[in-house]
Amino acid sequence: MNSLLEVFQRPDFLSQLVVHVELSVVALLIGVAIALPAAIAVSRSPLASTIVINIANTGRAVPSLAILALVFPLLGFGFAPSLVALVLLAIPPILINASTGLMQVSPQVIDAARGMGLSDGQILGRIKLPIAAPVIFAGIRTSAVQVVASATLATFIGGGGLGELIVLGFQRNDLAIQIGGSLTVAMLAIITEVSFGALERTFTPKGLRIARKHRGK
Amino acid sequence: MIEFRGVSKTYPGSSRPVVNDLSFEVFDGEICVLVGPSGCGKTTSMRMVNRLIEPSAGEILIDGEPNTAMSGTKLRRHIGYAIQQIGLFPHRTIADNIATVPQLLEWDKGRISARVEELLNLVGLDPDQYRDRYPAELSGGQQQRVGVARALAADPPVMLMDEPFGAVDPINRHRLQDEFLRIQGEIKKTIIFVTHDIDEAIKMGDRIAILQEGGILAQYDTPENILASPNSEFVSSFVGADRVLKRLSLLRVSDVELGPPNGDGLPRLSERMNLKDALSELIGAGVERGSVVSDKDAVRGTLSIETIQRLSHGAEQARGE
Repeated sequence: MNSLLEVFQRPDFLSQLVVHVELSVVALLIGVAIALPAAIAVSRSPLASTIVINIANTGRAVPSLAILALVFPLLGFGFAPSLVALVLLAIPPILINASTGLMQVSPQVIDAARGMGLSDGQILGRIKLPIAAPVIFAGIRTSAVQVVASATLATFIGGGGLGELIVLGFQRNDLAIQIGGSLTVAMLAIITEVSFGALERTFTPKGLRIARKHRGK
Repeated sequence: MIEFRGVSKTYPGSSRPVVNDLSFEVFDGEICVLVGPSGCGKTTSMRMVNRLIEPSAGEILIDGEPNTAMSGTKLRRHIGYAIQQIGLFPHRTIADNIATVPQLLEWDKGRISARVEELLNLVGLDPDQYRDRYPAELSGGQQQRVGVARALAADPPVMLMDEPFGAVDPINRHRLQDEFLRIQGEIKKTIIFVTHDIDEAIKMGDRIAILQEGGILAQYDTPENILASPNSEFVSSFVGADRVLKRLSLLRVSDVELGPPNGDGLPRLSERMNLKDALSELIGAGVERGSVVSDKDAVRGTLSIETIQRLSHGAEQARGE
């Protein structure tokens, strides 16, 4: 127990934790910035949306380690290549959920909105996005948890993060360091899951929560 | 007034038009019903008025102005729009749904909430009870009332209604139709109303445009005239073999010149009954005449089967069938 506390007091613990969080947050932000506009761009065509969803689904099947292994020979070593790999991991869940969510908005609702004189931008901002919000946030949550967990692997291509500690533990055969690093990653992932879940509930419009309850009856 | 001038619509890649050289006028304050079998282009015709669909040829004038004079978005904010599946916004309260167009037109808040209250009262929903509810909490009939209120929100002179009462059971549909006719009596909008149901068309329409496959206007006239003299085989089969009875259903007992009050023991007919129901009543009672009474039970006179027969004389063809 004491030795575990010593791990948390190591000077490199805090710095690797910061790197880990930094990698995750930036990768997620870039992922959202790419995937959300892409989903919106294809959302007017059901065919394009279906194609995008299928490509993203295939992308999701590629293991995190494989993506890192692919990025390394192309971009080399360090923080930036790790970031690229994590962005690639972050995109598919957001893309899939955002496309699905936008596609599921009832055509009658969109027709009514158009028939009353909402512009395309207003239909997107006031109708489609709020109605799709819960599904989109669920995608971002999945993506965030996956990025936080996968950032552990960044150490293999010199990206730093809590993976460094785990690898160090292995090298020195020091169980405390290994467990300290692993526990922290697990905690980060749980915190991410819980806080994004709360965010998802906050962004679910009240009318939709009520509709869901009524459908359940 | 809405005027269709030689309006056609052919979709790219198709050789046959869905709407073919349509020309007719919808008069101010009237309900014009577009009715016909599926594939007759009735919804397409309606959607060209507010430019959700652009015609391939011809033009549509609203009060003498081509509807292309302003942007489609702006045009649509000044034309009421109600559709079959209602399309209420599930994430917005009833009040916000109704306020959609006033918000787009940037009315101030006080004016909007006053208008929402007025409209909820108009369609028979208690504002205090329903204002802050969400669509999922309302029954189908209530949702359709909100749909109508939303279409009326900015008090547009022209309204488009695509089977607005289509998604409810028959009993509720009749009630909604009656309510809407009462509302229309007060607001006198110029309305294009699409339905596939000839009975609804006869009930709701001041005028009916019967369209046949390929978007051809088969007949445009008042319900009375269409039922009395269908101008083609298609129209007469579309309105149905019971068109004489349908025509009787348009007349109320109080519209008929009655015989003098005569004799006791005759079945009593309310003066508010339509002639079709009165006839059914007389046949059912096995008598030639009935005694017409007012709501307050005052005897107005007598109505005979013979009188009803004389009134339906305009449709002698049907009798030969």
